[in-house]
Amino acid sequence: MSLLLAFPKGRLGDDLVPKLRGTALALDEAALKSRALRVPTATAGVEVLLLKGADLPRYVAAGIAALGIVGSDTLDETSEDLLELADLGFGACRLSLCAPGGTSLEDLRRRPHLRLATKYPKATTAWLTKEGLTAELVGLASSAELAPILGLADAIVDLVQTGGTLKAHGLAEAHVLGTTSARLVASRAAYLAEAAALGPVARELERALRA
Amino acid sequence: MPTHMPHFPDLLFEPAARLRAWEHALMGLLAEAGYGELHPSLVMREPLEPEAVRFFDGADLVALRWDFTVALGRLLSSRFEAPPPRVSYAGAVFRRPQQPWEPVERFEVGCERLQAPGEDTAAADVELARLMVAMPAALGLRGGILQLGHAALLRRPMEAEALDAETTARVVRALHRRAAHRVREALDGHPAAARLTAHAEALLAEPDGPATLEALAASPYAGMLEDEIAHLGRAHAAIAPLLPPGLELRLDPADVQGIGFYTGPTLRLWAPGAQAELASGGRYDRLYPELGRDWKAAGFCLRLSRLLDLAETRPELFGGEGAR
Repeated sequence: MSLLLAFPKGRLGDDLVPKLRGTALALDEAALKSRALRVPTATAGVEVLLLKGADLPRYVAAGIAALGIVGSDTLDETSEDLLELADLGFGACRLSLCAPGGTSLEDLRRRPHLRLATKYPKATTAWLTKEGLTAELVGLASSAELAPILGLADAIVDLVQTGGTLKAHGLAEAHVLGTTSARLVASRAAYLAEAAALGPVARELERALRA
Repeated sequence: MPTHMPHFPDLLFEPAARLRAWEHALMGLLAEAGYGELHPSLVMREPLEPEAVRFFDGADLVALRWDFTVALGRLLSSRFEAPPPRVSYAGAVFRRPQQPWEPVERFEVGCERLQAPGEDTAAADVELARLMVAMPAALGLRGGILQLGHAALLRRPMEAEALDAETTARVVRALHRRAAHRVREALDGHPAAARLTAHAEALLAEPDGPATLEALAASPYAGMLEDEIAHLGRAHAAIAPLLPPGLELRLDPADVQGIGFYTGPTLRLWAPGAQAELASGGRYDRLYPELGRDWKAAGFCLRLSRLLDLAETRPELFGGEGAR
């Protein structure tokens, strides 16, 4: 039976795949070029599932994949019970409150009915609670930058890496809520049951990926 | 066991028969060991837990039984002058789930070992551990992992350093995830950060045998925790020879789940593919004093609903004597 690893598609996955080239866990290039979602690695018996970040914690928590790589932003939004073995450091972003240029945090504080669009409701709620603020959260799955421009929300709470997308939409960071990065996660049952098999793979991932 | 929101499962034929057979086998084992059954009412009155399924009985707000240990605690402390030494229970509890896949109505079998002040609690802990070791075979579970921990290994140093409630909760959450980096973040700026971080790293040694305890010798709190570490070592030595084939023992000082409730050794049963532990228990000596009795208590509970799920998703794990 193969040992399955769960890797995220998208931005984190784009960072991750080149870092693994030339290692024992390098992904099979031919399979990557196809549309396969289950990809062999350079080590026989170790395969990778390519998953959307939001789905990844469930696959690991259920023990389908024994190990996974996922952003701490996703991890902090999930209620799945996972082990978080290491902060890999790469894929670092800021989780920021962003508003149309010229709007400050103080301006937003003074709104009688603040509307924030985000796909990070838990982190946003935790920050609002800490700040003693209330707001209507507008749940969005993507393209949150459109919400303030089109009047769906006053501001957004979203991940910012370079700020290029924000700038393109006339938005700017009004406040940084925290930072995020890629984390090595493990299934609790697999970690206890298959420690001998998991340990070397976890260490190889950490060695290859730690920024 | 397929579940659908709102997760009140109907068991049709095979799972129903499996549940009945498991309850019979487990309660039989407990009866042989001298545990007498108590059946607390399915309806509990105030104080009610927020996750309970509540409803009005006339003008009174009541709830369906959400936890056997709480129900038994209220019953025993109000109806008995001296603690009945060994009690068992079987039935359903109703609790809003933390995980979306868990049903509200869950089936459990468990036992409690109660003692008056001055009785030997270490012997009682080993008695319960021996019973838990026998449970997988009674369920027909071919393999599994027993995770042995001790709640005081983290609780005592945190109390000694007077950590506030929020930092305590963050450290516990981080250790529960085995995330040393999050422990460092949680303690950042605290005067005891260096000591507590070193202790957390010692607790996070890979779960294994006696070597795991040796890692604790490097902790700044090793002297304070001498008794707990020795107790854990003795428990490990007592349980290891009893393990049937397929059942492995992992000594895990970083097992901090339920640290707000447990006060001493903890034991959990896991199986490959399980999303949560299949059984859990430990020593909880603060419960009865809170209910006005100076009794000591320990016990464990088998989560039969999770086992029913596992029997459907991983049938190859079952097939021993107790299997259907």
